[in-house]
Amino acid sequence: MNGTPRALNRVLLFIIGVKLLAVGLLLLLLATVPAVAAWWHGWSANVWAGMENAFRQTRFPGREESWLWIVAGAILVVIIIAMVAWLSQQGKGRANLLVSSDDDSHINGEVRIGGGVAEQALRAALSERTDLAGASVATYEVKGRPGLRIRIQPRQGVAPHILAAEVSQLVEAMDQVIGQKTPVLVHMVSGARSRFTKAERVR
Amino acid sequence: MAGEDPEMSRILSRATHSSRAGAAVIAAVLVILFCVYALLEAGVRAIGQPPWLIDPTTAAERIIALPEGITPLLLGASGAVIAMVGLFFFLHAVLPGRRARHLLRDPRTAVVVDDEVLASALARRARTAANVTQEQVMVVVSRQMVVVNVRPTSGSRVSEEAVLAAVQAELDEMSPVPMPSVRVNLASSGVIGA
Repeated sequence: MNGTPRALNRVLLFIIGVKLLAVGLLLLLLATVPAVAAWWHGWSANVWAGMENAFRQTRFPGREESWLWIVAGAILVVIIIAMVAWLSQQGKGRANLLVSSDDDSHINGEVRIGGGVAEQALRAALSERTDLAGASVATYEVKGRPGLRIRIQPRQGVAPHILAAEVSQLVEAMDQVIGQKTPVLVHMVSGARSRFTKAERVR
Repeated sequence: MAGEDPEMSRILSRATHSSRAGAAVIAAVLVILFCVYALLEAGVRAIGQPPWLIDPTTAAERIIALPEGITPLLLGASGAVIAMVGLFFFLHAVLPGRRARHLLRDPRTAVVVDDEVLASALARRARTAANVTQEQVMVVVSRQMVVVNVRPTSGSRVSEEAVLAAVQAELDEMSPVPMPSVRVNLASSGVIGA
């Protein structure tokens, strides 16, 4: 439900994975197949000669070092910044407002309802239930619109469809209070807390 | 079902498929570490200072000479490790990344249930139908299949049909999407003293 860029993740993982795979396989072949070693010597020596030539032509006037090192450093900095930007995209998408709209009245102004209203109301209603080992509610932005994610941890043996129907009723009651239908995702998870606590015997 | 709405179906498909955030974080951190080290060596070289670990020119010459200068075993092993890490990322990118979850029909909300939650509910039903204790029933739920393993108490008969009917009825009530089929395995040996 969060805004993790899934297509980007797949593409970048594909690129990085293929590169690592190629390097690893090359090293494996170098260690095992002599013919590959002969080819590698010729090819890599060629590439390195070309690079050395480039370095020689790009020296600072009157000094030993080439400014290509600074270019390489700049490229590396760009890659690092891009990677940090990619990291910061993971799991983003939390929203603060549930409703933000103009009402029909002739008074100027905007109605804003924070996500905390729904989160706290639902969490309070869910925390009273004995058939749940835990519950959390969070507001996310889905395609620019707010949505709620309700994550509940049923105890062992609780029938999920009955639980879903009851949570649905809670959500419908919340719709009435807020005056707007918000997309809601109910996610029933199993975790260590539900696995190792006693089974629900009443229902 | 709430899934008919395009917005809801998008939410549901995102809930039942992995976002690959974990693999992405590992890959990004690896690339950052590598780049920081290369940056350090390049920077040291650019201002004409002695290298920290290895001079880039020396490193390149060693790489060109590769099968020499290192034992084949170490070279092969490091190659295998790097290839494994690459394969890990590659498979994460290519495989569909489906999570072990089912959808439930609900008119108002989008409901996603972990397979373990389904399994524990079905196990409870199977346990009451077979009249055995909790430890004697094990239910495994996969995408298309529910396998119920029952170890009956020694000396008392368990009806396979009754267990199957009970589990099937519970599953029909839940109606998860996709609907799995049910198989019941009765263990041939019983449990003593349960």
